[in-house]
Amino acid sequence: MGKCSKLPVQYSRLQLAGSDCALSIQGSKSRTSRRPYHLGMASLFSSQGPLPDAGRATLTWFAGWWRIIHFGALILVLALSPSSYAASNRAALARHIYQDTAPMLLWFIALSSLISLVIIRIVVVTAVSYGLSQYALEMVVRVLVLELIPLTAAVFAALRCALPNAAEIWEMRTRGEFDALAQQGIDPLQREVLPRVVSAMFSTLMLAAVSCVLTAVLAYVSVYGFTTGAFAGYTRTFGHVFNPAVSIIFALKSFLFGLTVALIPIASVLYDRSRARLRTSVELQSLVRIFVVILLIEVASLIGNYY
Amino acid sequence: MKEQPSAASPSARNLEFKAALLLALLLLLVAGTVVYLLYARGAFEESQRLVLIAEDSEGVTVGMDLTFSGFPIGRVRRIELAEDGVTRIIIDVPRKDARWLRVSSVFTLTRGLLGNTALRAFSGILSDPPLPDGAERKVLLGDATAEIPRLVADMRELVSNLRALTAQDSSLAASLGNVRDVTEKLKGPRGALGILLGNEADAKKLITALDRTNALLVRADGLVAKVDAQVLGADGLVPEARAAIVQLNAALADARASLKKVDAILADAQVAASNAREATADLAALRAEVDTSLRKVGRMIDEVNRRWPFARDPKLKLP
Repeated sequence: MGKCSKLPVQYSRLQLAGSDCALSIQGSKSRTSRRPYHLGMASLFSSQGPLPDAGRATLTWFAGWWRIIHFGALILVLALSPSSYAASNRAALARHIYQDTAPMLLWFIALSSLISLVIIRIVVVTAVSYGLSQYALEMVVRVLVLELIPLTAAVFAALRCALPNAAEIWEMRTRGEFDALAQQGIDPLQREVLPRVVSAMFSTLMLAAVSCVLTAVLAYVSVYGFTTGAFAGYTRTFGHVFNPAVSIIFALKSFLFGLTVALIPIASVLYDRSRARLRTSVELQSLVRIFVVILLIEVASLIGNYY
Repeated sequence: MKEQPSAASPSARNLEFKAALLLALLLLLVAGTVVYLLYARGAFEESQRLVLIAEDSEGVTVGMDLTFSGFPIGRVRRIELAEDGVTRIIIDVPRKDARWLRVSSVFTLTRGLLGNTALRAFSGILSDPPLPDGAERKVLLGDATAEIPRLVADMRELVSNLRALTAQDSSLAASLGNVRDVTEKLKGPRGALGILLGNEADAKKLITALDRTNALLVRADGLVAKVDAQVLGADGLVPEARAAIVQLNAALADARASLKKVDAILADAQVAASNAREATADLAALRAEVDTSLRKVGRMIDEVNRRWPFARDPKLKLP
């Protein structure tokens, strides 16, 4: 616990290191010289490097992902640190959690219920027409609750919450507010970045949880109607689908979706090189990264569930 | 930069409360889901173990239901291969459902045509003792697809028979050829007669016979007309017969009158006979008197004979 309380002092300031925008870790505030987070890596990014363009691009790509992972570890440490939940930070955290989730919760519930109803109807009608109605419910649970709803929730949270938050971070950084905060002795990572990351993750999990429960209820009502007589059979089907392996994979997948959505946009904004040197915007790049990672997680979960 | 409320302001406290509500909602949903899944997986109910031994566990999966009368009463927990090569299907049966399983229960593993496999339990005698925990039972295999090879063999035989039937040199083809010949002959000048008689000469003979029969019929027609005239004509048999019948009727009337007279005579005879019967009623007395007189005459003759000198000596004298 004592170690954790020192962490904010260690990771006290974000600095722009030339065009690389690397995170600098300073042990004391007296050291004001701007130096990159990784000197060797910084030399690789310079245009006068010894490597050809292709190699340099590959290294840049790897370095980008490494920075996201590093940022994730950093945020995780901050999230586990009790000082991050001091009164001043807690207010910011509460504000972000509420403002990022509550306004879109109802919209998302309405939207996902509508889509779920349509898909449930299609699946049930198709299954009945083939005489396979006993498999309809299991298919609905597998397709919607296990796969589609968490995916939709992650994408929705990324578009409505994580990307705008990242844009805010970018603006704050370019306006020099991070430096101002650091000069006031406030760690911008704790005050501004951590609440946004946590709120994006919370938003993803919240949307997924609410709409999964709602979809399960809708599936029951669509298949059996307003009766409690089929609850035992429905519970049995649910238990059949959610065996221990599937449940663990589902929980892991939801957590990783949340982590992806929360970390990648802000990490891209914080660590990315200058926008002027890129043809695509940082938001678009982070969106592509989110999709790639979500796709990989989804494929891995499918392999885990069905192979 | 957004305006941030201070930590102690009412709006900040309000936000914290709302955020706490959201967090509580998420925790509630997650905890509820976990509890529901544990309940659905049967974590809160006591169960007993049943081991089904099968030669082949194809299609059986972990989590599959064991059904009794269509209701799931157990769930496959594990499938393992025993040392002797048979499959052991380990099933957890909740205590509340275990009452349907008895020591005499039979377990079947059936595979449908679509590959869906079902484990079923049948308990014929529910008064038998309940199945003990950890019981091992052999499972009977009922495979719908096992019928397919036999069906295919039958189909192949059927197809080969059909092929033999429809071959160029088969009896069916020959029969059809004959039928074609017959129909062609039917369309020919002699028609069905040519087919029936086989050759044209006989057909001609038959036609000639028919012609002659026609001529004969014409003559028979004339004959019938003559017979008609003879029988039904003015002087024919029928009018004469009718006259004879009239005469016969008259004769019959006479006979009836004669019979009436005979009746009267018979009545008289009956009267006479009755008189005679009355007369014969006194004959008995008369006869008795006659008998008496005759006995007297007899005794008198015997007396006369006895007294008569020439009476014969009826006695035999022995020397």
